[in-house]
Amino acid sequence: MSLTTVSARVPARVPEGGHPGCCYNPRVAPMHTHRRRGRVAGSVVALSCVVILAGSVVPAQEAQPPSILIARQLAALEGIAVGDEVELTSGEPGSATRRFRVIGTYEPTPNPLQLGVASRGIRMHLTDLLALTRDAATPAGTEHVEGITIALQDPDSTRAFVNDVNARVVGAFALFPGQAAGAGDTFVVLERFHMAIATVTIIAATVFLLALTVMLVDERRATVGVLRLIGFPAHRILVQVLIEGVVLAGAGALFGLALAVASEGLINWFFQWRYDTALIFVHVTPTVALACVAIAVHLGAVATATASWALLRSGGLRLAKR
Amino acid sequence: MSDVIVDAANVSRAFEMPAGAVVAVRDVTLSIAQGEHAAISGPSGCGKSTLLHMLGCVDTPSSGTLCFDGSDVSTLDDRARSRLRLRQIGFVFQRFYLLPMLSAAENVELPQAEAGAAKDVRRLRSIELLEYVGLEHRANHRPSQLSGGEMQRVAIARALANRPRLLLADEPTGELDQATSEQVAVLLDRVNADGTALVIVTHDPDLAGRARRVLTMKDGQIEQEVTR
Repeated sequence: MSLTTVSARVPARVPEGGHPGCCYNPRVAPMHTHRRRGRVAGSVVALSCVVILAGSVVPAQEAQPPSILIARQLAALEGIAVGDEVELTSGEPGSATRRFRVIGTYEPTPNPLQLGVASRGIRMHLTDLLALTRDAATPAGTEHVEGITIALQDPDSTRAFVNDVNARVVGAFALFPGQAAGAGDTFVVLERFHMAIATVTIIAATVFLLALTVMLVDERRATVGVLRLIGFPAHRILVQVLIEGVVLAGAGALFGLALAVASEGLINWFFQWRYDTALIFVHVTPTVALACVAIAVHLGAVATATASWALLRSGGLRLAKR
Repeated sequence: MSDVIVDAANVSRAFEMPAGAVVAVRDVTLSIAQGEHAAISGPSGCGKSTLLHMLGCVDTPSSGTLCFDGSDVSTLDDRARSRLRLRQIGFVFQRFYLLPMLSAAENVELPQAEAGAAKDVRRLRSIELLEYVGLEHRANHRPSQLSGGEMQRVAIARALANRPRLLLADEPTGELDQATSEQVAVLLDRVNADGTALVIVTHDPDLAGRARRVLTMKDGQIEQEVTR
């Protein structure tokens, strides 16, 4: 049996009789603290370390071993079912192992940085993790911890808590979510990339829209000319054409949004299937939708006004004679 | 109100061209009175259509004064001039200029709609006018489904939609055969007989001969005027 490295996320303070992770509340705001060396205590809810899956499934025994949750992908890869017992080690293959019982699977939090990598996460009680990973020579309570994530019951108290930790605990740095060193760099780059693509797309669409509008308005030269000859004032025609342009641009924007919303599910389904992840790849938010409609309508109005104004400067007879 | 509808005093119209200005109408003085029937004839390029366009407020003189109902047209803005064209002047063109996407009745309704007539009123008026020009059975046909003569009669009906005081016709029979031209000429005579002042620009001596006043133009000026 080959040994397998797994990453374990371990919830702490599991209520009596609860299972690992049961204290996790997705509504609370996570928080990162960094301390060089210190005591893992208080409201620690999760941390990461490396453990070794020393043997896959072992026969169930009379005495109940500690319970763990394993990532859905890991369960599928290793063929582990709920109720199975596994042996884990944090050392080299063959080193001391501990036996655990799988009491469930969980869906790992999607991480774009691990796209295409099957999650091999395990969640266990903090005490079990410490027992599994502690060097026998290291006294209990002096384990080295790089960082811990803290979830607060009251997310609104995040700022106060950060300030409090930074003021009271020497050598510990409490940071807001996303402030951990390098945590958001990748996404900043991605966001800039998206912004660049969006800008280029809008510029190209504007040029296209303007050209299309000029062509459409130009096709109506004769009609506009006849209306002018009959006695329609220029501003009346301009308003009419503007309304048409805005309605068309709005309808186009709504159609584009409907298409985006419809394809959103399809794109997410395909890539979630392709990379076996719950990551959301496309999400049309109300803000994005509103921005799209606002940009489209304004562009449509400007393009129509520009094209129409040039047309209406010509005399009705010249337009009608075309 | 004066009997004179439109009064042109020493009007000229020059067009700026890359090769230099071309004077189409030169120092013309002309008045059209209520109920008058006038024809302007002359060789191609003599300026008769340009003069007609100025009389109809479609074009503006480069110099001189053009008054409609005593008001100097040059002082009117686009909105006022458009209102004048809409309510006081009817225009009939050689090439009809009907809107192809509208039926005959809808084409006749269009100026009334812009003038603010209620839908049922303008519908009734359109049918009445199409009956007047003998095309009530073609009310729902589009221009593409009409013959040239029928299209011109619809154009005349449209020009009369808002009961104008002055009807201007620019080569109204220019694209019609002789028989159809005769029908249109008779219709225009009838319009004039019903009280609308009529000015026709034509090459056709027969059509010009039906007018009580015939103006002959040459080189942008009125060379001859005959009143019967």
